[in-house]
Amino acid sequence: MAGLLLSPTEKVFIVHGVQRPKPILGISCCSLTSANAAPQFEGRGGEQLAIGIAKLMQAAYHSSDAFDLKQLCIFEGKQCWKIYVDILILECGGNLCDAVSMAVKAALFNTKLPSVKAALMDGGNIDLQLSDDPYDAKSLDIGTAPLLVTLCKIGDKCVVDPSAEEESCSVISVVVGVTGNPSSYNSEENVSDTAKESKFTTIEMIGSGSVAPKTLKDAMNQGM
Amino acid sequence: MPLDYRRFNGPEDSIPYKRFTKDFVKSYDELFKELLDDKGVRKDGRALSEARSMCMFFARADMVSQAKGSAYVELRKTKVVCSVFDPREIPHQNEFSELGQIFCEVKFAPFSCPRRRRPHAPDAEEKALSVALRKALEPSVCRHMFPNYQVDVFIYILENDGACLSAAINAAGLALADAAVPMYDIITSCTVAVIGDKMFVDPTEAEEYLATTNPDTPINHGLLTLSTLSELKQISDFIQIGSMDVLSVTNAMEVLEKECERLVPLVQKVLVGNVLKCFDQRKRLEEEANEREKALNSKMEEWKKLLNAG
Repeated sequence: MAGLLLSPTEKVFIVHGVQRPKPILGISCCSLTSANAAPQFEGRGGEQLAIGIAKLMQAAYHSSDAFDLKQLCIFEGKQCWKIYVDILILECGGNLCDAVSMAVKAALFNTKLPSVKAALMDGGNIDLQLSDDPYDAKSLDIGTAPLLVTLCKIGDKCVVDPSAEEESCSVISVVVGVTGNPSSYNSEENVSDTAKESKFTTIEMIGSGSVAPKTLKDAMNQGM
Repeated sequence: MPLDYRRFNGPEDSIPYKRFTKDFVKSYDELFKELLDDKGVRKDGRALSEARSMCMFFARADMVSQAKGSAYVELRKTKVVCSVFDPREIPHQNEFSELGQIFCEVKFAPFSCPRRRRPHAPDAEEKALSVALRKALEPSVCRHMFPNYQVDVFIYILENDGACLSAAINAAGLALADAAVPMYDIITSCTVAVIGDKMFVDPTEAEEYLATTNPDTPINHGLLTLSTLSELKQISDFIQIGSMDVLSVTNAMEVLEKECERLVPLVQKVLVGNVLKCFDQRKRLEEEANEREKALNSKMEEWKKLLNAG
C-alpha cells in the first residue's frame, strides 16, 4: 500500500520478526467503516487492482470442482441463472484476496435461487413463472467453493494473512486458491463418501519480485 | 455487449451455424481422444513432452523499424509481434516513483482466434494477459535505472494457437533486449496443459481449450504458465487455472522449468545473431561513409585545380 508510512527501520524489524521460527497465524476481523480504501484508488486508480481481483476470483471459480455450474441450470441448453458477484472494497488492511474470497463464498452461501413454478413454451421462447413465496427458494451448494490464501514472502519465510505493514515489506506474494471440503458442511453420517481431497484451483503471483522454485513449492504446500 | 455497427451483425435471434456442425455436439471424451492417436502422438505429430520450440521455433529481433526494439516469435501457428518503445515520463502522475514502470498492452488481431472474432475494444482476456505480462517482465528489468519513466511494451498476437502468453513473454524478453533496456537476465516462458495424467507441453489451442473446460469426471485439469530467469534460478511468474492436486502441480512445474531452460540457448542465439547483424550493418555504413568522403575529396581536389587554373 503506497499510502502507508513505514520507516526502513520498522521494515527491518518486521523482516527480522518473521525470520524467527514461530507460527504467525490468524484471521483478521475488519470493520468496514471508510468508503475510501486508500487515496491511490481515487478515480481510475483502483481499476488495475479491481481487474486483478476479478480475474483472480474468476480463475478460482472456473473449474467445476470449485463450483458446479449445473446448479444454475433451468432448462438444459435453453435457460440458466446467471450470477453477478459485485465486490466493493471499503478498506484495505492487507490480505485483500483472502478477505474477498471469504466474502464471495459467504455471499454465495446466502444466495437463494427462487424456484420455478411453471414454464410456458411459446414457439422458441420460454416464459418462466417464478414462485411468489420468498421462502420457496433453494440455496446453492458451495461446499467446494475455493478460498484464496495469500502467502507473503518476507525474508525466506512465507507469512499467512499479512497485515498492510507486512505486505509493504515483501516484494512478492503467492496466492493459491484451494477448494473447500464439502464434508465440513454436512452432518457426520456421510462424511466418508463426500470427503474429497483439496485441490488447487488457481495459483498466481502478485507483486513485482521473483522467487526461487523451491520457495514457491514450499509456499504452495503451506497454502494447501 | 456493445455491437460493432460497422459490420453486418445478422438478426438478433440468429444462431451461429457452427451449432449445427458435427463438431459442436462432440462429448468431452471424443474431443480428448481426438487430441492423441494410439501411439500417444499429438495431432500435429509431436510427442506429449515435445514443445514446439524443438521442432518449429522461429524468432527474430528487430522486426518493426519504427520501434526502439522489437521481436517476432512463431511457434508453429502461434505468431506474436512485440515492439518496445523509448522510455517516456509516466503520464498523469503526481508522485515521483523511484522505480521505472513497464506498460504492457496485449492485443489480439481480429482474425487471430479460431473460435470467435476479436472485438476492437480491449476485452477482459486481453487486459488479463497485459497484467500477467507486466508481472512476468517486472523482475527481469533493472527498473531502478529509469526512475519516473515508463517503457512501453506492445504485443500484437497475429495468430493464436495456444500458449500465447508464453510466446508473448518470450517475444517481449527479446524485444526488451533488442531495445537495449537494462535487464538482469534472459526471460523465458513455457505453458503446460494438464488433462488427467497427461501433460501437454506447449499446448495448441484445441488442447488448451479442453484443459480449461470442465470434464465429466473429477480429474485433474488445468493450464499452467511459468516464466523463469534462468541464470538467477528465479521464477518471475507462475499462473495456474483449473483444478489440480499438489502432486500434479509440482510435476508440471518441474517439466516447465526444464522446458524454460531449453529455450535459453535458442533465445541467446537470436540475440547474438542480432548483435552481429548490427555490427555488420555499422561496418558497412562506415565503409560507405568512407567511400563517399573519398569521392567528395577527389571532387574537391578537381574543383580546386579548376579554380586555380581559372
